[in-house]
Amino acid sequence: MTDTAVPKRRKTSAKPDAPAVAPETAPDKTPHPAPKSKDAPRTIKDLRIARQGKRKPTPKQDDNPLREGLRLERVADPSVLVLFGATGDLAHRKVIPALYQLWRTNLLPHDFVVLAIGRRDYDDAVLRDELKTSLEKYSRVLPLDDAAWRSFASRIRYHKLDFANPDDFDKLVTVMDGIDKEQSSSGNHLYYLATQPSAFADIVAQLGRVGLDHERHEGGWRRIVIEKPFGHDLTSAIRLNREVGKVFRESQVYRIDHYLGKETVRNLLVFRFGNGIFEPIWNRRHIDHIQITVAESIGVENRGSFYEETGASRDFLQNHLLQLMSLVAMEPPATFDADALRDEKVKVIRAIGELTPDQLRSDVVRGQYGPGWVAAKPVKGYRQEPEVNPESETETYIAARFEVDDWRWSGVPFYLRTGKRLPKRATEIAIQFKEVPHRLFRDSNSDPDPNLLAIRIQPDEGIMLRFGAKVPGLGIDVRSVTMDFTYGSAFTVDSPDAYETLILDALLGDASLFTRADEVEGAWARVTPIIESWMDEPSPEFPSYEAGTWGPEAADGLLAREGRKWRRI
Amino acid sequence: MSSPSVTPAAVGGGAPSTPSAAGGPVASDAPARPNEPTLRWRSRAHSIEEVEQELVRIWAHNVEQLMGDRDGDHVNDRMIGARTNVMNLVVIAGRPEVGERCAATIQRLVGRHPSRTTIVQPADPDGPSWLDAQIVAHCVLPRVDAPETCAETIHLVCGGEAGRHLDAIVAPLLIHDLPVTVWWPDEPHFGSDPVNDLLAMSDRLVVDGSGWHGTGLDQLRKMAAAAERFPIAISDFAMVRQSRWREAIAAIFDIPDFLPYLRHIRRIAVTYGVRDEFGAETTNIVKPLYHAAWLGSRLAMTVTKPLAPMTGGPSRKAPVRSSSGRVTSLANPSAGLGATLRLDRTDVALVIRPVLSEMPAGTTLRVELLADWRGSELRADVTAEQEAVHVRVWQDGVHALERGFTAPRRTDIDLLAEAIEAGGRDPVAVGTLALAAQLAGGTPP
Repeated sequence: MTDTAVPKRRKTSAKPDAPAVAPETAPDKTPHPAPKSKDAPRTIKDLRIARQGKRKPTPKQDDNPLREGLRLERVADPSVLVLFGATGDLAHRKVIPALYQLWRTNLLPHDFVVLAIGRRDYDDAVLRDELKTSLEKYSRVLPLDDAAWRSFASRIRYHKLDFANPDDFDKLVTVMDGIDKEQSSSGNHLYYLATQPSAFADIVAQLGRVGLDHERHEGGWRRIVIEKPFGHDLTSAIRLNREVGKVFRESQVYRIDHYLGKETVRNLLVFRFGNGIFEPIWNRRHIDHIQITVAESIGVENRGSFYEETGASRDFLQNHLLQLMSLVAMEPPATFDADALRDEKVKVIRAIGELTPDQLRSDVVRGQYGPGWVAAKPVKGYRQEPEVNPESETETYIAARFEVDDWRWSGVPFYLRTGKRLPKRATEIAIQFKEVPHRLFRDSNSDPDPNLLAIRIQPDEGIMLRFGAKVPGLGIDVRSVTMDFTYGSAFTVDSPDAYETLILDALLGDASLFTRADEVEGAWARVTPIIESWMDEPSPEFPSYEAGTWGPEAADGLLAREGRKWRRI
Repeated sequence: MSSPSVTPAAVGGGAPSTPSAAGGPVASDAPARPNEPTLRWRSRAHSIEEVEQELVRIWAHNVEQLMGDRDGDHVNDRMIGARTNVMNLVVIAGRPEVGERCAATIQRLVGRHPSRTTIVQPADPDGPSWLDAQIVAHCVLPRVDAPETCAETIHLVCGGEAGRHLDAIVAPLLIHDLPVTVWWPDEPHFGSDPVNDLLAMSDRLVVDGSGWHGTGLDQLRKMAAAAERFPIAISDFAMVRQSRWREAIAAIFDIPDFLPYLRHIRRIAVTYGVRDEFGAETTNIVKPLYHAAWLGSRLAMTVTKPLAPMTGGPSRKAPVRSSSGRVTSLANPSAGLGATLRLDRTDVALVIRPVLSEMPAGTTLRVELLADWRGSELRADVTAEQEAVHVRVWQDGVHALERGFTAPRRTDIDLLAEAIEAGGRDPVAVGTLALAAQLAGGTPP
């Protein structure tokens, strides 16, 4: 209970359909606050009597007033998490460690079951042993808490199922009914698709066929979590959305982009909309350009065949980079509800100007790494990696210049870049402000740099502001200095892993940090023309950058031609 | 004139270091290691003005050092040292050993709470006025490739009249615009001028009500009065420490079948430990009282009858002793305090009762709830140990739930970290304190 940081979740934000309850007075001014109530008096007379203290609002039975002020103001309903692909890499590395951590820190409901689905001939004990081995490797808190693991493991059951066999889904219905009755899970099911993307449509269709998507009148919600990649181009994304939409309503669908669960990404919203000083200058009048970098020092590791089909554009640009861009550029939402937030994000994506054929050639740079040195170790080139075609044309680096054609951002370039085998792992959003309109200190020995605001997402999460300061002395010498905020130096609590945040949100029914169908399609609509344009071009001269460098030289040219340069991270 | 006894262990730690003779930067013999505070400055002053000058010197030195570390234009982005101040922490230490203990606790926070800490220790109240200050700065390397984060601690010993004007000592040493938290590890004399003056300039008061003398109830009432008078937030370790109990109790009613019983609680019984048969009258009961007050305030209960000694138990009898002569059960097993609360239109009996225990006196051992709803009875029993809280529930006499919550007991470092990270007044704490004070007999005028 003490060692996990989970942001307090307010009922109003966690339950999109619940009426917002405004506090009568600011908490600071309430000496004896009454419990919150959704059953507040509504007529003028009721309000007057309540204000005079003659009648106390009575909390409705479905809220637990003891939750106020605790880490979670609402706990997830009793439920079953049905994990498809439970024997796979994602389940072992991310999903199960996140669930274990949530369980260990008492953030899951008491009546909670993980139904692990896979094609292998396992039983409960074999799967649990395998999961424990993985946890000992991937859990963010080690050593494992044996009591917590035993208790959590007793809630994991294995069920063998072949996604291609409809009969297996009929049997799944029986299994689910049994668990619902046995475990008092009230028919609440969260289906988590941690499988190969090619299986998504079949699983969804089968869940629909056997009726496991139906939400019940007396409760019993059904939600589905779908991992990226969501489609491999615009057409496939539309098709997949259509297939999912035939079975589940959009409000039941939770598309994961784990970047949105990261603490600093969530803090970006607080930073922009919880502070009064930044929003007035967050526009074309004051901002020169914006750089968003997602750099990885690792190569493709053992995912060569996967990466051959995706590349940097599908793996990062279509989702993480465009999501970060939409969060930076979005207008303030009216509320913090999932749809209000996502409405604003999708407006940004739609406002990204479509690149003309000329721009597709001039504003997008792709690259592929060759052999080099990273962190003082020699590394192979991409084409020498296992499961990679020795003549591969897959891009491991992409940089692009976009513009958002709206009133706020018109004329402000957004430079996005991502790549593998870059010198270091770093994700950062840099807001480069314009130069001062009048150079008052032109006699200064050194020209001060324009102001810069850098939001570091990983590692070393924090925010840095650069500004000019006078160097002490008789003259007027101006030098750039920085104010640096790091999460680690201001807060004692550890940030939860993004998967912990997102899985808990899905169980609580809060879709704010998940992507909606129109966002996904909008992002593909921007990225697909880029990929298609490469089909018409001759074979690229790959490799185009040495591992351990910051990408191909052409990427520097993307900014240099406008008198700018990439930030050194 | 005595000087604050701040031992190297209390303020130094980390890498071995050598103070400079005249006071100032401390050369470290070993390279700084991530997350281990390293003493970077130590000097002395004998007036507030001198203290202020020393603080300026610390930062001038720090910048000089960083300027010396410049490495091309990389410095522009990452290496210029800028203090991430989050707050002023003022510690009022009545005795030298308390000051040392607090310094040791704060030092464990320094890397994550860069702030100015001023430890004030009044001394020799009837002698002439004097002031002796030791100024130290510790720096922490968050990571090998990150700049150091530094914070300073001023340990002030104030003799004579000066020690009675705490606000006048503290005010000039505050970093402007940052919130002020006062940590009073001893027992503040609520209502006195020095305390009032200090609270008037503070944003948060941190205390530990479980350490107050006697039952602690008088002090608790006075603190509630101070909370009404001053716009300060109060963090009482005695209350914060119980959050693991609260999580576990709340979890009972997360279960849909049990939630309807919550508004039909009829009895709350909190059992606490005493060390001997006379403990019931002298043991601090702030912690067990907070349990009841939290439940009562969350359910909007009102106090019908405040706490009073129980009278309905068996007549007093001799205590039971073991063969070694040790008392094994209290003379009067029903000894304790009783009160009546009102929930909607129904009375709720509250019992706070002692039992002999090896645990520190005043430790909550058990919280029992009894509720009846539509002719059905729910009984919940919550206990805690070092690493976990256990919940057992019976519905109509049938065992319905048994659950253990992994939740280690928290240290003073955890509690202080939470207290100084909290922002604004916590309405739950405000409500709990107010109801606890009413149960204790109401706030004094």
